[in-house]
Amino acid sequence: MSRELATVDEGLRGSSRVYSPGFSSALLAMAYRQVARFLVARSRMANAVIMPVMWLVFFGLGWSAAFSTLRGVERALFGGLEYLEFLAPGIVIMSVFMAGFGSGLGVIWDREFGYLKEVLVSPAPRQALILGRLVGDSVVALVQGLLMAVLVSLVAGWPGTARFLAALAAAYVAALASSSIGTFIALSMRSPEGFHVVINLIMMPMLFISGAFYPIEPLPEWLKALAYINPLYYAVDLSRGLMYGVHSTPLTLDAIGLLAVSAAFIALVVAKFSKTYLA
Amino acid sequence: MSSYAIIAEELRKSFNGFEAVRGVSFKVRYGEVYGFLGPNGAGKTTTLSMLTTMIKPSGGRGIVAGYDVVENPVEVRKRIGVVFQDPTVDRDLTAWQNMMIHASIYGIPRSDAEKRARELLEFVELDKFAHKPLRSYSGGMIRRFEIARALLAEPEVVFMDEPTIGLDPQARAKVWEVIQELKRQGVTVFLTTHYMDEADRLCDRIAVIDHGRIIAEGAPDELKSRVGGDTVYLRAIDSDSAKKLLALVSEYGEAKLAADNVTVVLVASNAPSKIPQIISSAERAGVKIVEARYNRPSLDDVFLLLTGRRLRDEEGDWRIWGRLVRSRLGR
Ligand SMILES: Nc1ncnc2c1ncn2[C@@H]1O[C@H](COP(=O)(O)OP(=O)(O)OP(=O)(O)O)[C@@H](O)[C@H]1O
Ligand SMILES: [Mg+2]
Repeated sequence: MSRELATVDEGLRGSSRVYSPGFSSALLAMAYRQVARFLVARSRMANAVIMPVMWLVFFGLGWSAAFSTLRGVERALFGGLEYLEFLAPGIVIMSVFMAGFGSGLGVIWDREFGYLKEVLVSPAPRQALILGRLVGDSVVALVQGLLMAVLVSLVAGWPGTARFLAALAAAYVAALASSSIGTFIALSMRSPEGFHVVINLIMMPMLFISGAFYPIEPLPEWLKALAYINPLYYAVDLSRGLMYGVHSTPLTLDAIGLLAVSAAFIALVVAKFSKTYLA
Repeated sequence: MSSYAIIAEELRKSFNGFEAVRGVSFKVRYGEVYGFLGPNGAGKTTTLSMLTTMIKPSGGRGIVAGYDVVENPVEVRKRIGVVFQDPTVDRDLTAWQNMMIHASIYGIPRSDAEKRARELLEFVELDKFAHKPLRSYSGGMIRRFEIARALLAEPEVVFMDEPTIGLDPQARAKVWEVIQELKRQGVTVFLTTHYMDEADRLCDRIAVIDHGRIIAEGAPDELKSRVGGDTVYLRAIDSDSAKKLLALVSEYGEAKLAADNVTVVLVASNAPSKIPQIISSAERAGVKIVEARYNRPSLDDVFLLLTGRRLRDEEGDWRIWGRLVRSRLGR
């Protein structure tokens, strides 16, 4: 029936122009949007940089000074690294994770301020729209990670360009993973308040048992088990391994774990968003 | 055989058991401006949301630009432009950035998009503000921007949900102008409104919707002719002569004394030809008429006739006028 009507219409009205959106142009447009928004909302950048800097300064420098009184033991505790070196990759991953996870909030604001409708009523493939958003959010998170990486390298010691870039690549996967986790949670929430509760409930424990601040080997088994299902653990271990050559899990395993988590959450986000109707 | 831009067949939508739209059927021809006129909560937005593929109907069928809105939503989306009731812009970005993102997600090639975006922004008189972030725009500017954006992909059917709500008179006039221009270009427009003057002025045909049902449909003049006639107001010099006048004009139609006691209100067909007759017969009877005017029936009167309620009750207290004239007030 609808086919018939379409043919009739074409016959009657001649060929009117009908545009067809491509997958990549839609993806790029949504990625561009996230980056453009970030560039105008500098307070978001400040927000995502200030926290890690505070950790670096007040936590990192503090403990570093304390540990340095135990000459020799410090390096034994941290796999042969000084505490600041040990902490540096964790701080980078932390900033990337906070930025990526927090970007999920944008999904809720888009619903609240109506932009979601503009996106949903477009003929673009839903998958492209949401993937573009994840790409944009993770690039933004990576930019913040890059700032932190430069900063911590200056404080803890420059690891060399190749190692620096390798760690940054790991940070990008972590950014993608955290953006998709944050976005997945945000897609099932209605209020920004709810999302903030989730941030506090999930983000903090994830950070603490990621091995970013202390090694997880000495932890009790049940905490260790939690660490091993924490994608951040793999991200931190991987970037520490790439940056300073110290890691507790084989790096390929870290990489596989991190990529698997990213892929799984990206798939979940795409599946959920593709089914979105307003009511 | 004619061809329709929109076909709604028994469309219905329930929200958790509450029936917001209860079986709505209508057809809109290509090139027509079709209006949904109804009060708050009538089901206008819900119907529009189903036709624009934003919500799934609970029953019935919608066909837009030749495609079923449930079976083929992407084909529908390619052919429609939508201005939603509430803003759907990214306020942190500029009008131009919003336009270009829209172009990319609709698959409009960059050069076409830039050219058309420039033309459209000029058309809605926003070209000078194209590179300002939308958060600096007024409500009327955002509305105009959204209309321009909805036209970027050259849609066959444009949906507008209360396009002028909350706008000042100049901004409303501008939006009307845009819709009239669309009509000239042969674009099909589906709009919702609860302003009867707007529906009257813009629409070829109107569906009056209330409690999720279409209670009347037709051209504005057709609908108004259902009310039965014009309302004539005749002011006498004092209440005594008003009473004489009342007796005098009763032969022309239903007449009544208004609450001020000096005005006679008469419902009659073809007021322009009757007023001179009334004035001369009043003169012969020695009754002086100091003021005579008449109103044509409005869509509000139609609504009142059909539902016993006004579209907008807040417009003055009409009860004082009594049953006969209550439908002629409030303009
Ligand atoms: N998502 C929803 N969930 C529950 N009820 C809804 C939902 N959307 C609309 N309704 C209800 O359905 C009815 C019709 O709403 P709708 O928005 O279609 O009215 P409308 O004619 O557009 O009114 P208005 O002039 O106020 O925009 C209202 O009673 C409204 O409360
Ligand atoms: Mg509405």
